[in-house]
Amino acid sequence: MITKSIRRTGLAATAVLAIVSLAACGSDSNGSAAGDGEPLTTVTFWDPYPQYDDSSDWAKYVESCAPEGTTLERTATPNGDILNSLTSAVREDNAPDVVLLDNPAVPDAAVSGLLASSDDVDLDIGDADENLAGPGLIDGKTYGVPIGANTLGLYYNADVLKSAGVDPASITDWASLDDALAAVTADGSSGITFAGIAGEEGTFQFLPWFWGAGASLTDPGSPEAVEAGQLLSDWIGEGYAPKSAITDNQSASWDLFLTGDYGFAVNGSWFAKAATEQDFEAVMMPIPAKDGGAAPVPTGGEFAVAPTHQSNAQAHYDAANEVIDCLVGNGNQVTTDDQLGYFAANAEERQTQIDADAIWTPWADAITNAQGRTSDLGADYTGTSGALSAAEQASLNAAGDEDAVSQAFAEAASSVSQ
Amino acid sequence: MAMQALPGSPGTTRSQDAARRPRRPERSAGGRPRGREAWKTVLGLVLTALMLFPLYWMLNVSLTERSAIREASLYPRAFTLDNYRTVLGDQLPYLGTSMVVGLGTVVLTLVIAAPAGYALGKLLTRGRRTLSFLLIVAQMIPAVVMALGFYAVYTDLGVLDTLPGLILADSTIAVPFAVMLFSAFMSGIPQELLEAAQIDGASHTRTFFTVVLPLSRNAAVTVGLFAFLWAWSDFLFTSTLNRGGGDLRPITMGLYDYIGSQNQEWGQLMATAVLASVPTAVLLVVAQRFVAAGLTAGAVKD
Amino acid sequence: MVHQTEDIQDVQDVVRRPPAADVRADESATDDATAERRGRPRISRSTLAGLGFVAPLAVYMVLFYVYPLVENVSMSLHRFTRATYVTGEAPFVGTDIYREVVGFDAFWPTIGQTAVFVVVSLAFQYTIGLALAVFFQRSFPLSGVLRGLFLVPWLLPIIVSGTTWQWMMDADSGVINRLLGVVGVDPVWWLNADHALWAVIIANIWLGIPFNLVILYSGLQNIPTDLYEAAAVDGAGPWRQFWSITFPLLRPVTAITLLLGFVYTLKVVDIIWIMTTGSGSSQTLATWAYSMAFGKGSSAIIRYSEASAVGTVLLLVAVAMGFVYLAVQRRQEA
Repeated sequence: MITKSIRRTGLAATAVLAIVSLAACGSDSNGSAAGDGEPLTTVTFWDPYPQYDDSSDWAKYVESCAPEGTTLERTATPNGDILNSLTSAVREDNAPDVVLLDNPAVPDAAVSGLLASSDDVDLDIGDADENLAGPGLIDGKTYGVPIGANTLGLYYNADVLKSAGVDPASITDWASLDDALAAVTADGSSGITFAGIAGEEGTFQFLPWFWGAGASLTDPGSPEAVEAGQLLSDWIGEGYAPKSAITDNQSASWDLFLTGDYGFAVNGSWFAKAATEQDFEAVMMPIPAKDGGAAPVPTGGEFAVAPTHQSNAQAHYDAANEVIDCLVGNGNQVTTDDQLGYFAANAEERQTQIDADAIWTPWADAITNAQGRTSDLGADYTGTSGALSAAEQASLNAAGDEDAVSQAFAEAASSVSQ
Repeated sequence: MAMQALPGSPGTTRSQDAARRPRRPERSAGGRPRGREAWKTVLGLVLTALMLFPLYWMLNVSLTERSAIREASLYPRAFTLDNYRTVLGDQLPYLGTSMVVGLGTVVLTLVIAAPAGYALGKLLTRGRRTLSFLLIVAQMIPAVVMALGFYAVYTDLGVLDTLPGLILADSTIAVPFAVMLFSAFMSGIPQELLEAAQIDGASHTRTFFTVVLPLSRNAAVTVGLFAFLWAWSDFLFTSTLNRGGGDLRPITMGLYDYIGSQNQEWGQLMATAVLASVPTAVLLVVAQRFVAAGLTAGAVKD
Repeated sequence: MVHQTEDIQDVQDVVRRPPAADVRADESATDDATAERRGRPRISRSTLAGLGFVAPLAVYMVLFYVYPLVENVSMSLHRFTRATYVTGEAPFVGTDIYREVVGFDAFWPTIGQTAVFVVVSLAFQYTIGLALAVFFQRSFPLSGVLRGLFLVPWLLPIIVSGTTWQWMMDADSGVINRLLGVVGVDPVWWLNADHALWAVIIANIWLGIPFNLVILYSGLQNIPTDLYEAAAVDGAGPWRQFWSITFPLLRPVTAITLLLGFVYTLKVVDIIWIMTTGSGSSQTLATWAYSMAFGKGSSAIIRYSEASAVGTVLLLVAVAMGFVYLAVQRRQEA
């Protein structure tokens, strides 16, 4: 209450200045300012792909999804800023009509009241796989539709392994992976790159080891969790992984792998095409679990969501409906995902993609068995992910020190239980 | 750049020379003949090279193929011009926007700060301390807080995603600093000069324009330089207040074209940074020449 | 020594002497006349003019600083989450948030790291900036160009310079460690939790040198050259000239440079963020507030209220610093 009235005072004061100083610069009103019931003339769309500029195929593709009688205005925002921008925009009731939002952020956004649910928007998850659609389902309502999915795998440099006398097929569990890393580094190459940067990106890459040890997100302080932390910590301590892992994001870790020095790299399916274009032979294998078999990997990728609106809400929701349907409805998803290098969220459509391009074959099982990050915890995932990230950072800094690693995870457990 | 906003800037180079001339005899009096200054140039070159090493690194990366950017080679071993080819097509309009925003911020900052600096430095006796105190506090407000506050206001005013809106926001970085610097410099202007003008019947306004402002050229250039640089490099205001600028986005946002959620093209990003630095670097070196030497002191002496 | 200082003091007086008494009398006579004509006694013409000159600034400050400031304090007294931020219905909780923030394990270490970051950065920025300003004070071949080039680092978008520093400080293959290796020093893990503070301080010093150089250099330009001439005639060497002319006359500019440097260094987020995301010992009050306000760093949970409370702490430090500055100014004017 107080804040509101203070804000109003501020607004009034600022309005005075506006009249004085900006009178000359008329501001054009756009469609979103229209009153109730009026049809929109502009539909706004945000995505986290700044790498595609206005002249890119992706931009043109998205613009072609504008509902009849409107033009679609696309804005690309760096992934890390999109949720905050959306928060501000919803607060001021000038939110975009459609946003592509990173999947682990969807539950948080939904419980914070940023997203319209299936009550208002005809969000049809259709036949998307359950593990991929999970983040959009909250309390029995749908808040978003997966536009596609990606996941993580273990790339290796076949040339480096060959030179070190390592047979990739022999790598089936953590022990054999460690042996391979020892052999590769003894041969004069470097070991493995991964993204250990603080935050969600680091947690995303930590989860295959965390889940692969048998740990669960409901108990981040378990002995299994500590084992996963210890594995990565030892890699730094033994010199298998670069010390820059504590600040490397997935792109930086990939750049290191591209130098050709490293035997292995944990990275995403979005680099599968690039991997085929290198001077060395880069091959993907599933990330091994501690005691053998493929570790569960987390699902990545964005959801199409419709932010909440106050004024003229139904017009905005109707527009959102059309745009989302155009991007992911009936068979359109493959077109969308081919643009982005994503897998379709539906098993049948995905099979079509895999059949069409052999580079996807090794990824088929990984994506089918991938786990949603928010499946266990819903909106509480955000907090647990933060605690895990802090624990991972501490483990990497410990460079092998066991006491420091177990203490780090004990702290994670206690910060979550608070 | 800033000079355009100031009266009396033409001919600066000449007066600069004039102001420097008296020093030369002093130098020889100090027993340091001109030829011995070579060591200073050499030392200056070494220091500049050290200072600019990170720039060299940026250039190095911008000329390197992606597969080798993390090899940390001291020269672009895997040489390529592809990054520049990509960037030249995409980023040039953004450079223009940044220039407009930068210059607009300079003008707005000078218009608000120079008169206020005069008032604080020379005219007001009471309330001066309070005001400079408030300015210090104003400097401290974290930009994060300001940006969140502006967003609400800008939405209501319809200046979100507009250049005037961005200029207004960017000027808030420089104005408190500018007022403080102006008042510090203007308080050092000998009172005799102002009084001489006033005895001639000039009003405070005329004194300000004919005496104070020309004498404060150093401060104005410094302020203009800072206002420009801060506006040029601002990211926070741009990213909150001008995200949807389209072709009217400043270069700091253009850089983000190369930072995707999972993939970042550092070679292209660095190439953009190099391109963005060239015009401003030239501007800087030119602006430096206009910082006239010892004008105030010269005026008193005469 | 004594004799010479007095000499300098004399010249300084000539330059900075307050208006002569008779001129002042003239002025006040005019003022009285003006006051009578307008029927508004006791406000002098200069004051009126001063108010006019300062008016745009006053309006500007109310609009752009007072409002966000009030907003910030208000946010720290209400419990905001992402949801209540949207609805604007955050409950008022008094000083609860402040108590919580002070109770965080990270609070006192962060204060300590902030202090180290600010003090060490400032000390080196100022010293190096002043040394360079003096070095450039008398022109030599190429001095103008080199001085201009010294500012170029400032043109770089921080994301570029921050990343470059991160690469140069890479523990395994960074150029700094390789140079250290040449002189026989073991490689340093610059960006780990323990060393991160020093790594960001080094980068921040580099970043701050242009600012200090520009202000101090333009301060040096305002020192009358005849003072040096007089000192040289008296046989004072460069070292003596620096301590008895340059440094004392530069005191007002020094005060403002250090004050502003303090304020800006306290606020620094970007360079730290890009290099280390504020991890380990590189967390300062500013990066802490940033990470909480935007849900960046390890945790994506947004803590607007806590961030505002830390912001208020920063403001209190600034207010304290403001008082220090006022005290220094008063002493200089006395």
